[in-house]
Amino acid sequence: MLDVSTRNIDKKGVVIAIAGDVDLYSSPEVRKVIIDLTNKKTKNILVDLSRVSYMDSSGVATLVEGLQQVGKYGGKLILFGLEASVKEVFELSRLDKVFEIYPDEKTALDHLKK
Amino acid sequence: MGRIQRFLSALGQPTIYALVHLHRLNRLGMETLRWIFIEPFRGRKIRWRSVIEQSVRVGWQSIPIVGIISFFVGLILAMQSAYQLEPFGATIYVANLVAVSLTRELGPLLTAIIITGRFGSAIAAEIGTMKVGEEIDALKTMGLNPVSFLVVPRFLALIIMLPALTLISDFLGILGAYLFSISALDISSIRFINQTINALVLRDIVTGLIKSGVFAVIIASIGSYEGFIVEGGAEGVGKSTTNSVVVSIFLIITADVVFTALFYSTL
Amino acid sequence: MSKEAIVQVRDLVTYYGKRQILKGVNLDIYRGEILVILGRSGCGKSTLLRHLIGLLKPTSGQILIKGQDITTMNEDEMREILKKIGMLFQGAALFNSMTVGENVALPLREHTQLEDSTIQIMTRIKLDLVGLSGFENFKPSQLSGGMKKRAGLARALAMDPEILFCDEPSAGLDPVVAMGIDQLILKLKNAFKMTIVVVTHELASVFTIADRIAMLHEGEIIFQGTPEEIKKSEHPVVQQFLNREADDVEPDREKYLSSLVKP
Repeated sequence: MLDVSTRNIDKKGVVIAIAGDVDLYSSPEVRKVIIDLTNKKTKNILVDLSRVSYMDSSGVATLVEGLQQVGKYGGKLILFGLEASVKEVFELSRLDKVFEIYPDEKTALDHLKK
Repeated sequence: MGRIQRFLSALGQPTIYALVHLHRLNRLGMETLRWIFIEPFRGRKIRWRSVIEQSVRVGWQSIPIVGIISFFVGLILAMQSAYQLEPFGATIYVANLVAVSLTRELGPLLTAIIITGRFGSAIAAEIGTMKVGEEIDALKTMGLNPVSFLVVPRFLALIIMLPALTLISDFLGILGAYLFSISALDISSIRFINQTINALVLRDIVTGLIKSGVFAVIIASIGSYEGFIVEGGAEGVGKSTTNSVVVSIFLIITADVVFTALFYSTL
Repeated sequence: MSKEAIVQVRDLVTYYGKRQILKGVNLDIYRGEILVILGRSGCGKSTLLRHLIGLLKPTSGQILIKGQDITTMNEDEMREILKKIGMLFQGAALFNSMTVGENVALPLREHTQLEDSTIQIMTRIKLDLVGLSGFENFKPSQLSGGMKKRAGLARALAMDPEILFCDEPSAGLDPVVAMGIDQLILKLKNAFKMTIVVVTHELASVFTIADRIAMLHEGEIIFQGTPEEIKKSEHPVVQQFLNREADDVEPDREKYLSSLVKP
């Protein structure tokens, strides 16, 4: 079961907290939330993956799509809190270099303030 | 082995083969019908995009060849019947003869035979090549049903397009006869058209279309079946492709006899 | 971690006509391992593989995948199982009427509700994984043998399967390309913790990739164990296979003569 919730951090930023497995059947839910935000041209989108224990390539592809969308208006999509197994999926498809990935919310926010 | 035994076995072997083929063909037919009429209600939709692609191939791209051949046959038919009717001064009946024989018989038959050569053989070759290349197995291991994926779109395309092509064939055949009649037989344009319209009843066209529907079923089933039974590489594909044409044409003519007799007796 | 059998084969017997091809095969395949099914041509190893993916139904016996018997399943149940399984065919079996990208995307388009844009990205990720980025719009006929295998592998991986079956992955490839495919298989196992079953007779690749080996001979499993164990095996058929010895041709003059002059 997948649970996706959003929480505003300031005027320009939103944290998407995902809990559960992101797979072929649940990733459209994640996509819907991300695309809603990018349609509103949300400047900073932070994705909290700390409660995701499994993510397949459809999840990764969904995040890539989000990244592509924010790029169009100069926004940011940042990931944080990746578990080792999830991080491995990104490394395998060499996407750990493409995304900005931080260990936790605090470091991610610190980075944004700079 | 006694002579009688040998005779019986010579007779029995082909009969058994024929029955086995008939049984498998029937199973393929049932499976096709299941994917057209039952599975869509269980959420497994018909691939309409694929149906359209195949319809373009079998229908749109066949218009030139069907059109030209039908036009020529109409022309030939007009000349041959004029030769017979001239001594009686009855050349105006060329219009009747051509209109009726084309719509009831030659239009559906010619179109079916052309499409057998063009599309029936292509179905057998495509499915056969896919079988030899393990592509059919690949579909199955992906959880995709080969009948739903390959046969149903071709089947539906033929059922829709063969009658449509038959109408085009009817029209262009009559056009051939018309051009010959107004130029060589001293029949005025209006007279020919009136004569044709009076000669034709809706029944002629409808029975022709019913036939062409039946022919479509034959072409699609035999083409797919021959494709699925291919064995032994490229040579097998060639053999099945040829078989599909021969068997289809045989069955088309057989069905034609039956239906013509039926329509004739219930006239 | 205790070993969990993800595939269990129980007393599998199958006939082709009157000939018995598999004579009561028992085999366990554990999660996360690479099992190589080894054997000479015609030993029944391809037949066994075709049973494991449900292309053939056995005469008797059971095949349990994640505890469910696939030999008695209907089409709908089997479809669900197949979504978790990838298969690489010997000749890659790419659909020649489609591009490489469409081949990889096909299972996703058919089985999931994912958006086309997501599927496209996934397709590219898979193609990149097998070293074929940029070949998305090529037709299979434009690819070399090794590239076709890679594309076939990308398609087998499209649905992120738990189990991957490979039929003779290095057959017909030159040693360098074959080695590349072996490396790719190892990478998949290590990265995705995938269970991989490989059917082959290529000794070189066996010792590169295998965690465990099952050797099939005349429809029976004559050896099961690690690569180290197989080297120590004293079974004559195993020995003959590993040492690449030809069959003894017994000079039976009487038999030969009678076969020649048989009426």
